Amino acid sequence: MLGSNDYFTGLFENRRRTVAFVVASLALATIPFTTTPYVTDIVFTGLIFVMLGVSWNLIAGYAGQISLGHHAFFGVGAFISAWLTTPARANLPEAIQSPLLVAVFVGMLGAGLLALVLGPILFRLSGHYFAIGTLAVAAIIQLVLEDQRRFSGGSTGYYVQNSMSSEVIFLLTLVATVATIVVSYGIVNSRSGLGMRAIHDDESAASSLGVNPLKYKLFSFVVACAMAGLAGGFYAQFRLYVNPESTLSVTWLVDTLVVVILGGMGTLAGPILGAGLFLSLDTGLRTFAGEFATVIEGGLIILFIVFVPGGLYKFLADRFGSEDQPSDADQPAPNEP
Amino acid sequence: MVASDLILEALLNGLLLGGIYAVAALGLSLVFGIMDIVNLAHGHMLMVGAYVAIFLFTTFNITPIIGMIGAFVVLFALGMALQRVLLERVVGEGIEQPIIVLFGLALMLQSIGRIWVGSDAQATDIGIPGEAIDIAGATLSFPRMVTFVISILLILGTWAFLKFTTTGLAIRATAQNNSAAQYMGIDTDNIHVLTLGLGTGLAGAAGALLSMLFPITPFVGWSYLLKAFAVVVLGGVGSVAGTLVGGLILGVSENVGVLYLGGGFRDIISFSIFVLVLLVRPHGLFGSSGGGE
Repeated sequence: MLGSNDYFTGLFENRRRTVAFVVASLALATIPFTTTPYVTDIVFTGLIFVMLGVSWNLIAGYAGQISLGHHAFFGVGAFISAWLTTPARANLPEAIQSPLLVAVFVGMLGAGLLALVLGPILFRLSGHYFAIGTLAVAAIIQLVLEDQRRFSGGSTGYYVQNSMSSEVIFLLTLVATVATIVVSYGIVNSRSGLGMRAIHDDESAASSLGVNPLKYKLFSFVVACAMAGLAGGFYAQFRLYVNPESTLSVTWLVDTLVVVILGGMGTLAGPILGAGLFLSLDTGLRTFAGEFATVIEGGLIILFIVFVPGGLYKFLADRFGSEDQPSDADQPAPNEP
Repeated sequence: MVASDLILEALLNGLLLGGIYAVAALGLSLVFGIMDIVNLAHGHMLMVGAYVAIFLFTTFNITPIIGMIGAFVVLFALGMALQRVLLERVVGEGIEQPIIVLFGLALMLQSIGRIWVGSDAQATDIGIPGEAIDIAGATLSFPRMVTFVISILLILGTWAFLKFTTTGLAIRATAQNNSAAQYMGIDTDNIHVLTLGLGTGLAGAAGALLSMLFPITPFVGWSYLLKAFAVVVLGGVGSVAGTLVGGLILGVSENVGVLYLGGGFRDIISFSIFVLVLLVRPHGLFGSSGGGE
């Protein structure tokens, strides 16, 4: 469905934004070669947050289904890619040992497939029940992995090996991030994106007009979870370590929520802005507030959703909006994360 | 094969545990049924209640049975403040806002808990003497029996409050039809504040009771939230009697399941039951309909 170029024309209509987006991406590509590993690590985390934020935004911001299980799919992608590049540690056959890119790709497919299997079951629930149901499913996935020490390494964790340098993995992650943004842009502006927004606004009305809610919900869920798995796969290969407790931790979901809500739910640029803001905030907070950083982040989510429900993007657009902004959703993503 | 007296023991202890689970879920169920809000911070409030009891126990040597009252009062105040200051502003603007506000609050409570008391598990003791009893070869521990009796009393008390007092009547009227209740002169805003206070207060009381049986860490919140929600789904949203039945079912299935599968499966069992029930009866085994949307 992404074959047609029509969906992407909007992306290139606004030259200024496109140029900014390309320049920002190229500037980011120089980071591992021009800065310290510390900075590279922070920017890498930022890219992961952009992927998680953009994908969660697709299911929650556009399709309106609050999934509280996103971190589990991130973790599943991470573990699958870890098993594939380093099968020996889990006593898996050497034959499945694969190159990094294959491993990450299979991790993405695995997370998407899991979503495809769980989706029809979970979407029998709606609203609050869906939110809590996804939280429970994520908890089950984490508990099962923690219990299967042979495959997950238990609380010791699982050390990953691969043959690529961290600079190359950083660049590959950057490419994946750009791809995630572009694909999301395509989806949001396609027929599917329209369907998703229709069921977000009023499911029964959309349904009575012939929009099949399950189809669009499932589509956005599978794509979003696959993107989370992709982020997880790169995370495992860059950090070279996964742990069922921390890699599937609900903290990832929290950070994703902060990124999306700070930036603006239901806008494409929102999560990208949010990731940049969150990262500078998080790095700053950890220096100044130490362990109180999480408390402040929790408070920030609350304050933003109550007082700035549109997020930073909407706030800025309202203040300094230029005349070429037909609606939030149609905006490409020009901002440097 | 597991011996039959072990099964009986697991069954009876499961029933006793189920009583506390019912109390833990009662507040969640009331708030969901009456206000159509799923308190995602319910488990974390339970954790706070447990720490209030632990504090009273370790500092003043007060038994959690009395400390429970302190936990109830603290959480009652917290719940009322939460509704007044935050939730009133976001309710009625779609489900995202309340969900995310409460999620953020849960995160804050967990982080503050970790900073204040550390990650080490703590527990209390019942602090009064008593003997375990033997029923047909099955041993029932004294603290579990006491907490069970208290749980039943709390549930009966809540039921009587809703059934026989004027305020209870007002709460039920608001749950049935908010606008109609308003036309009858009920201050529904105040009723909502009171209801959330009652719901979170019960979470605090349940936390105090649980601190006698299980070690408490700042991270137990999510687990108890899911367990409490499992009970709500089993029993039907807003139904006091259903919550008791749901709690007993969850307690028994957990304890019997652990006997066969091992202790690591305790949470997996209850979460799986929860997901299964959601799928078969999205509005609970006993409920007719809840505030799904």
